[in-house]
Formats: sequence, structure tokens, C-alpha cells
Amino acid sequence: MSRLDTCRIFFRKTGAHFSGKCSPRPLAYLAAVALIAVLPLVFADSYWRTNLIVCAINVLLAIGLDFILGHAGQLNLGQSAFYGIGAYVSTLLIMKLGVPYWLAFTAGVALAGLSGMLLALFAVRLRGHYLAIASLGFAVITYQILLNWISLTQGPLGIYAIQPPPPLALPGGLSVDFADLKNLFYLVAGFALLTYLLLDQLVRSPIGETLAAIREDEVSAASLGIDCRAWKVFAFGVASAVAGAAGCFYASFVGTLVPDAFFITESFTILAMVIVGGMGSLIGPVCGAILLSVLPEVLRGIGDLRLIVYGLALTLVVLFMPGGLVQAARLLAQRLRRLATFGAARVG
Amino acid sequence: MLTVVLQQGINGIVVGSLYVLVALGLTLIYGVLVQINFAHADIVTLGAFAAYFFMHLVGGYYLASIAVALLAGAALGYLVNAAIFAPLRERGNELLPLIATIGVSVLLENAMLAWFGPIPYAFETPYSNEVVRLGSAFITVQNLLIVSVSFLTIALLYAFMRFTFLGKALRAVSQDRETASLMGINPNAVIMLTFVIASALAGMGGAMLGPVLVLTPFAGTSVIVKAFAIVIIGGFGNVEGTILAGLLVGLIESYTTQFLAPGLIDIVVFALLLLTLAVRPTGLVAEKREENV
Repeated sequence: MSRLDTCRIFFRKTGAHFSGKCSPRPLAYLAAVALIAVLPLVFADSYWRTNLIVCAINVLLAIGLDFILGHAGQLNLGQSAFYGIGAYVSTLLIMKLGVPYWLAFTAGVALAGLSGMLLALFAVRLRGHYLAIASLGFAVITYQILLNWISLTQGPLGIYAIQPPPPLALPGGLSVDFADLKNLFYLVAGFALLTYLLLDQLVRSPIGETLAAIREDEVSAASLGIDCRAWKVFAFGVASAVAGAAGCFYASFVGTLVPDAFFITESFTILAMVIVGGMGSLIGPVCGAILLSVLPEVLRGIGDLRLIVYGLALTLVVLFMPGGLVQAARLLAQRLRRLATFGAARVG
Repeated sequence: MLTVVLQQGINGIVVGSLYVLVALGLTLIYGVLVQINFAHADIVTLGAFAAYFFMHLVGGYYLASIAVALLAGAALGYLVNAAIFAPLRERGNELLPLIATIGVSVLLENAMLAWFGPIPYAFETPYSNEVVRLGSAFITVQNLLIVSVSFLTIALLYAFMRFTFLGKALRAVSQDRETASLMGINPNAVIMLTFVIASALAGMGGAMLGPVLVLTPFAGTSVIVKAFAIVIIGGFGNVEGTILAGLLVGLIESYTTQFLAPGLIDIVVFALLLLTLAVRPTGLVAEKREENV
């Protein structure tokens, strides 16, 4: 079997391979909780804490896209729109109508999810490419509405002075202030971890198997009695709701909203994170999101060339390592194991 | 009032004929490969810049610069096929090539941004300021040139597809690649030819769009999203449908600018796209390729 074949099988099977293989690993989640707890203490200055929050938001965006692209096999190029809908809806509800933060958050997530389902209703009859273009079209429309509905969104001037989430009152008179970047990071990263947990469970459940069946072969799936349309609408709803949540956090974290943050380029950025990490593996896109968020900060010199790096990474990964970081890690582990057995044999 | 309608009609056909040039390339590629080339946008932009630099730095004629853009586009199309589509063809995953070309597009667009800067270039041609009267409406010689060159190219392409051996081979491959190769046609060569033709059209379209649009590294992207809408409205892989839809979108664009607001162009066009998908997903002109929907 050639390497290409191995890659192909790996690529097509990744999702199915992971699902049902083992039960959730409590230890890994515990380690993730510990890591989230420690990170802002290690990176104590506000510059790095800001980057940590950006990372957490990007992780949320990446796992949302991976659910629909890697697990359900639908290329959704509209994530930038759902991201924007979440951000604008929650912010406008808070600032124009005085809705409490978490209620507005819920509304933002729900509306993003609903618009994802609405788009899917339009496009579910269509396969692959049509769906990609339709979702791209939706992203263009949303961007233009944000830009042109000036009485509501203030268009290119943007919305300023958006407040962070209100302090959370704990029993015993304590309260957690989210104006503090450390606490805000805990909030966003905690939410991302929870979302990961839910999506992971979903992917391993029979629903995940159903989506994988649709991804692999829609006609066969339909012949087994799977209602492909309904499941695609469902997958779109979940993915866009996750992007909507990321948008709500983005607004209250950055404090300003301009339509340009939700241009179609943002969809491509999220796509790059998922592909570089390894689509269909859920953990891969997490790594991809972190890598592509941190890399430009580490290589300060490249500053404006950030998107060039994204484009290059996206192309090269698809061409040479379609399973992304996950595949690379796996190949590396395999090679090390072979090396270890070889060494042991020689010693013996 | 009638004058305004007529004038905007002329403007719409000028822009629409350029959209047709760009969208035809996408349709041709989709026909033979059932794939979308996202980097088509940057071939348009690069064509526009090639023409601009040939005219303003080398001091060449505008008509010659269109030819230069055509060659630049063809070369880039050859590269995109050789580097992206050919190696990925055996993988058999329908989304991977599209994703890879999104990467190429992001890469090229931002490389051009780094190189040429974000400030729009003033692409002036010797014909921009000469005007011809058509009844009560006007058309610049530049626009007259655009329309005639586009229509001539479209007619030539149509004749090529219809009457030449290569054109027939191309249509054969887009109908059924396996059977075509049984007839002694080399599908890989035909696919390569299609890419070169499609990208030459895009480069040429770029050279003529340059003076019409605001020439920045993002010029192609704004055109390509409309070209996507056009190919879906016209029916993917359908040449007649694409020509009709392209002119239609051009007209919609100029009438929206006149009677509604320029900011609404994309909204109207994509609302039409979503409507088409909902009502008649095979496109305006009936389509034979049933399995795609």
C-alpha cells in the first residue's frame, strides 16, 4: 500500500475510526482543566492573556466548523456570518434594549443556530460544491447587511464601548469579575471545553455515526432510511450555534464591533485552522486553532503576512498531509515506536 | 427616465459581459472536472495588474496589454492545475481541491496585497475619455471596446466548442470522462486545455475589468463571488445559462445602483442565488447533469 493510499484511508476514516473506539477519557479532560487553570497564571501579562482569549475563541470556532465539515462532510463557508450574527445580535440586544447579558448571549447563540438551519433548508437538496457556494453567498449577504444597515449596526463606523460580561456572584459574597482578563479567559476556555465535551459525545453517539454515513456516501445513507436533509439541517444548526457563541464572547472581549471582522476571509481563516489541525478529529482543529493563533504572535516579524502563512499552510497541508497535525503526530508516533522496537531488538 | 434606463442598461451589459468572461471559465472547469477553482479570482486580479503594469511601466498599447493579461492568466491556470488539481485528482475527495484552492487564493491575494499595497491603482486607458452617442445615452470607447472584445471572445469560444475537434473532445470529457477516454481522447490533456482556456478568459476579463472597477488586490474576489452566483443561477457547467445569467447579473447590478443603493448589489444578487437554489437548483437553463443536485 502506497503512502498516498494510507493517507486516503486515514483521511476518509478518521471520524469513523475515532467514534466508538473508547469512552471519554476523564484523565485527558482533567489535564485540560488543569492546563486552562494554569495558563493565565504562567502568562501573567495582559498581552499574552489577550492572546489566550483569542486562542480560546478560535478553538470554539474551529471545533464548530470541524463538526459540520469533518464529521458531517458539509463544507460550510458561512461560519464568518454566524460568528457575526452571534456578536451583533447579543450586543445590540444588550445596548439597544437593555437585555441582561446571559439572556442576550442565549438569544445570539439561538439566532445564529436558527439562521444556520434556515440556510441549510435552502441548500440541503444540494451536494458539496453547491452548498459551499450557497453558504459563501450567505456570508457575503450577512456582511453586506452589517455594513449597510447603518441605523442598526452603525455600518463601518462600528459599535464601541461594549461591556464585558457582568460579574458572576458566587455564594458566600464572592464575585467573579470578567473585566479581569484572567477570569474572562477562564469563562471562554471553560465554555470551549464544555462545547468540546458535548461535540465529542455527539460525534461518538449514534448521531455521529449517522452523520459519518452521510459524509461517506449520501445515497447509501438515504437507502438505509437516514433522513439526510434533516440531519444536515441539524448539523448546520449545531455548527452555526457554536460560531454564534464565539461571536458573543468576541464582542464582549474586544469591546468594539466592525463588519470587517466578519468578512468571508474569517471563514477561510477558520477553515485553515481545521485543515491544518486535521479535520474530522475534533482534537486536531483545537491544536490547529492554537497553532495558527499563536504562530503569528511568536513570529512578530511576519505581522502583516499572517494570512499568507494561513493560505500557504492550508494549501500545503491539503497536498501533502491531508490529515493535518493529527496525522503528522500519528506518523511520528509510529516511527518512534518502530525505532524503539528496533532498538530493543538490537539490545536484546 | 427612459434615458436613465437605457444608460444603465448599457452599463449593465458592459459589466455583465465581463462577468460572463470570468464565469465561463468557472463553468468550463466545472464541466470537465466537477470542481471549483477558487483561485480563479486571483487570476482575474493578476490579469488586471499584468495589463496595468504592461501599459503604465512598459508603455504598451492597451489592446496589447489585454493579450499580455490573457497569457499571464493562461500561465497561472496551467500552474494551478498542475500543482493542485492534477495531484489531488486521484484522492477522489470532492472537497479537498476546493479547499486547497481557497488556500491558494488567500495566499495569492495577500501576497499581492504585500506587493502592490492596498491603495487602488488608477487604470486609465487612452479610450476612457472618448465618448460615443447612442441616441440619448452615451458609451465610452473603452466600454464599447470591452463589449465588442467580450462578445467576440464568447462567440469564438462557442464556435470552438461547437465545431473544432478539441472543442468536441472537451464537451465529450465533460459529458463522460471514461467513455471519452475510450474514444482515444486523453482526458488529462483536455482538462489541462480547459484550465488554460478558462484562465486565459479570466486574465483577459481582469485586463478589461481593471479600468471599470477599483483596481486593488481584492478586485478579483469581489468579482468572483458574483461569478459563483452567476454559474449557479445559470446552471453549473452550462455555457448558455452562464452567458444569460452573467448579463442578467450585470443589469441587476446597474439598476440596483441606480434605483436602490450601491450597497445592496451583493444582497440582491445573492438573494437571487438563494432563490434559484430553492426554486430551480438546476439553473435558469435546463440542465442534464441531474446527479449534482
